[in-house]
Amino acid sequence: MSSVSDPLQQNLPPVAVARRVSVLRMLLSDVGACIALALVVLAVLGAAFAPWLSPTDPYGNDLANTLKPPGEFGLLGTDGQGRDMITRLLFGLRTTLLMGLASVVIGGLIGGVIGFAAAYYPRLSGLLMRLMDVLLSFPAILFGLAIAAIFGPGLPAVIIALAIATIPLMARVVRGSALVVLQQGYIEAARSLGLGDLHIILRYVLPNCLSAIFVFVTLRFGQVILLGAALSFLGLGAQPPTAELGAMAADGRNFLFFAPHVSVLPSIVIFVIVLAFNVLGDALRDALDPKLRK
Amino acid sequence: MTRLTALLLAGAASAAALATPAAAQQKAPLTILRIIDADRYDPVRSTATAAAEVVYMLADTLVTVDFDMKTIKPGLAESWTVSPDGKTYSFKLRKGVKFCDGRPMTPDDVVYSLKRWIDPAIKSPVAFRAGPVKDIRAEGDTVIYELKEPYSDLLFQLALSFASVVDKDTVEKLGQNFGVQGFNGTGPYCWVKWTPRQELVLKKNPYYDWGPPIYKNPKPQIDEIVWKVIPESNTLMAAIQAKQADVTYYMPYIALDTMQRMPGMTVQRQENYIYDVFMGFKVDKPVSKDKAIREAVNMAVDKQAIAKAIFFGKGTALPSLLNPAVLDYDKDTVAKMPKHDPAAAAKLLDEAGWKPGADGIREKDGQKATFTVYGIRNDINPRISEAMQADLRKIGIDMKIQLWDATVAWGKLATQEFDAFYMSYPYVTATEALNLYFASRQVPTPNRMNWKDPKTDELLKTAATAVDAQKRKEAIGAVQMQLTDANVWVPLASQPLWVVAGDRVEGVRAHGIYGAGLYKGLDIKLKR
Repeated sequence: MSSVSDPLQQNLPPVAVARRVSVLRMLLSDVGACIALALVVLAVLGAAFAPWLSPTDPYGNDLANTLKPPGEFGLLGTDGQGRDMITRLLFGLRTTLLMGLASVVIGGLIGGVIGFAAAYYPRLSGLLMRLMDVLLSFPAILFGLAIAAIFGPGLPAVIIALAIATIPLMARVVRGSALVVLQQGYIEAARSLGLGDLHIILRYVLPNCLSAIFVFVTLRFGQVILLGAALSFLGLGAQPPTAELGAMAADGRNFLFFAPHVSVLPSIVIFVIVLAFNVLGDALRDALDPKLRK
Repeated sequence: MTRLTALLLAGAASAAALATPAAAQQKAPLTILRIIDADRYDPVRSTATAAAEVVYMLADTLVTVDFDMKTIKPGLAESWTVSPDGKTYSFKLRKGVKFCDGRPMTPDDVVYSLKRWIDPAIKSPVAFRAGPVKDIRAEGDTVIYELKEPYSDLLFQLALSFASVVDKDTVEKLGQNFGVQGFNGTGPYCWVKWTPRQELVLKKNPYYDWGPPIYKNPKPQIDEIVWKVIPESNTLMAAIQAKQADVTYYMPYIALDTMQRMPGMTVQRQENYIYDVFMGFKVDKPVSKDKAIREAVNMAVDKQAIAKAIFFGKGTALPSLLNPAVLDYDKDTVAKMPKHDPAAAAKLLDEAGWKPGADGIREKDGQKATFTVYGIRNDINPRISEAMQADLRKIGIDMKIQLWDATVAWGKLATQEFDAFYMSYPYVTATEALNLYFASRQVPTPNRMNWKDPKTDELLKTAATAVDAQKRKEAIGAVQMQLTDANVWVPLASQPLWVVAGDRVEGVRAHGIYGAGLYKGLDIKLKR
């Protein structure tokens, strides 16, 4: 795409660059956001390098050493199969984050397309958004149960359920911010230049909605992890021997009084990750909102 | 750690204590805790253990089973004779038996109840247990049970709750709601009130003095019994500790040692409890049809370690196909059962042509050594399956686990989608268990193995129709040997029965027929 055929593009980059810098500066000036960011980075690194960081085999059991408390057998003890908790937590984090990522990406993409279509083509808006309202009225847990009943429990079932639950939320956010952008003069200008619909959406509408999408995705990621853990806790998610934080918390609940660490540790990890994503999302929203800027 | 556990327990106990206000001055009823309720308490309409354990208290059977699970003792019948051809049983009824409403029991009531069990209109899921009935009739004070062919299991089947004697008038009055809105039997306790999924209240049958001779005192000694449901096992444990309840045999195994250390608490085990856990193979699926695979699985799985770990030191591994405590168990099968030896299992697979693939999983002729196991998602299956999965991975077999919620599990277990399955089941004799699971007419359920073998069928038939106890033992022993050799099952563990009773209770003894831990509930006394 040359700048000659796209005269409106020339004044975009400097503004965008300046904004990006100020957003980053604002984010880093917030202590909470810094800690949250650090935790998220740490979690992602831990998950990514789990096979190298883990002290033991995540799937090898040791029935002679089950439910050992932290400190007695490995730093964080062992679970009901005698597996090292550190190893299980790292691999569990990996599954949980992947599950979250997959469902947010799939649900976000579909929801985004629907949102843009609804905003750009007013004729489709009524039908699409009512459809979204229907989807919105089903709790994600119910979707999970239904999908697990049809396809059998497993990670794909949870990802599908969470993606479907994400679609209407994403569609609403995208449609809302796209409607605002579509009122702008430069859209009118682009249209009068005869640019195609897809071109206008991808080139002018999408970039200007990105901040809203970014905030939504970050916040949603935390929610999806929580929901996914809940579905796994109910036995619909990761199947053994796959480690998953929600399923790990469920495994330990039968011995809660005698070996609390089996349930408590994965629950703490879930709590910290979700909190970090929420704090980060809030900070991002503040940073990206021009009205809140000092 | 111990201190933290104690702290948590104390906290939970006090929370449970706060939840329910203390009972009034009157001697509180005996409260028995369990984790699940039954759908109904009609003896012939429910197969649930949760129904049986209460029906045994509400109603009586012609004969009873002793604590050894092998000896038949009198019940409503004070004596009985069997004709030489094994086809006619005559039960001489005890005199003076009354229903809860005071009406004397007659031989016609017995005939009515037994005929109701096999009535095609009732569609009882347990009608097959009555055997090939020709006729059941009353002659004086005797009930004649006539068969088309001998049925060696009959007395044991007649001792099960399904063969309970019930009152015809109440059954006809309540119809489908018999065992839901009311009950009238000749048991030691009478129906008062049922709040589904919460509690079932029973009161003493004032006329009852015909308890089976396996008890010291034939009369019930408690005025009121409440069967309470607490679905969450940690809460159940806290309630027992807080003395909110007196007796349970659903205590989580992990808590038994702690309970044993508590002053006044009695914790006892029924050694002859027959409730087995096994994994069965479908013998016509690509991988599991290979006997080498099945045998290797039996060798690779460390059953001792699993039985110990899963039941927290309280479980025992099954030495072969069936439970050693059961009638007609064949001791010689122990030698036939492959011993735990992963190295030998690997060698066996090598010799059978299953060579390790790039990912560590074995292959033969392009077929991966992978199979899928189905099961119910209960307390034990998730842990047993994961432990087995790890053991099998070590010898290059990939076992995929798919556990289902109890609501859909039975439907899934009736399909041909899986290669192996987990099952726990109570039974009374070897002949009953193997006829149920291995007769070719029982395909697809409960013969989920798809085991169709003329020799097995013939031996099963011989055992079932044997008139002579020795002949039956030989025939059913031969079946056990054949099936052990075929490695159709991976016998895992005998699920232990432990009864925990608080300091207010005296005389509790674990029985456990068909999962009913307290059986008639006689000899139990309350100190205060």
